[in-house]
Amino acid sequence: MTDCGCTKAKAELEEYLHDELCREDAADIREHMANCVDCEGEHKVGVVLTEAVQRACRETAPEDLRATVLARLRELQSAHR
Amino acid sequence: MPVALAPREITVAELESALMSTPEGHEPTPTEASAEPTEADVDAALVAVDADAEKRALFEEQALPFMDQLYAAGMRMTRNPADASDLVQETFVKAYAAFAQFQQGTNLKAWLYRIQTNTFINTYRKKQRDPYQGTIDELEDWQMGGAESATRAAGSTRSAEAEAIDHLPDSAVKDALQKVPEDFRMAVYFADVEGFSYQEIADIMKTPVGTVMSRLHRGRRLLRELLADYARDRGIAVPVGSSKGGKK
Repeated sequence: MTDCGCTKAKAELEEYLHDELCREDAADIREHMANCVDCEGEHKVGVVLTEAVQRACRETAPEDLRATVLARLRELQSAHR
Repeated sequence: MPVALAPREITVAELESALMSTPEGHEPTPTEASAEPTEADVDAALVAVDADAEKRALFEEQALPFMDQLYAAGMRMTRNPADASDLVQETFVKAYAAFAQFQQGTNLKAWLYRIQTNTFINTYRKKQRDPYQGTIDELEDWQMGGAESATRAAGSTRSAEAEAIDHLPDSAVKDALQKVPEDFRMAVYFADVEGFSYQEIADIMKTPVGTVMSRLHRGRRLLRELLADYARDRGIAVPVGSSKGGKK
């Protein structure tokens, strides 16, 4: 049983996804994924998961919150005089 | 609403009195207050007011654009709009009060998140503390009911999983996120939504980078399992990962 690099790649995929690897390690992962359907698929799931979280977490602050914060900052500034 | 500051010529006398006044607090000392205000005092007061107005304008210009993001994080933290609004409001008030300590040129967003995370822990978390809080990092995976199953699916089934996740409604992803323990959830949020580096997340959450990596890994894995469950419950074909040890 030879290690085709999957063990290392799987262990580092998340860091790769988050751009936390040094250039050499990232290049190793890319090279490995080019020849490994398994790791490439695993990475794809990771990317899709990240995108799904990004989509789901988009929010716009309510207008009245904006107004309240602005009012409180003005209050604080004048209290400082 | 942008704040327009009327440009105003600053005289040498004003600069001098501004330099002579103490940097913190513009309250006149009792002796100064009792004395007849001189022209220089009036100038100094004007400069102080100007400085306050300038500080507020700078804060509004630099910090307020992060309101939507802080609110989104607040929603993930508190799980409801009213508490999220209160949390964000408090964050801005605290940040404004401490703005003099903020080092211009460093990461303001990370600084704001640090304040918001602190505020959340000190006020809101107490109200909704769940029994696992604080010990969650030490729990073994089996204690959380999670297993490696989802991450062990064979290659051909991964594309089906990616496809399923890609088509889930936002509400399903939100629900799943809320089921992930808070520290894991926020690590995922900071990395995946805000794109903070592991080191930045460690600073925000006041925890070692190793803990951040573990929280992220476990949070993402849990999320993945929850989403696969959700899809399966709705008849979307997501193969259950091959049983443990199935990979040779």
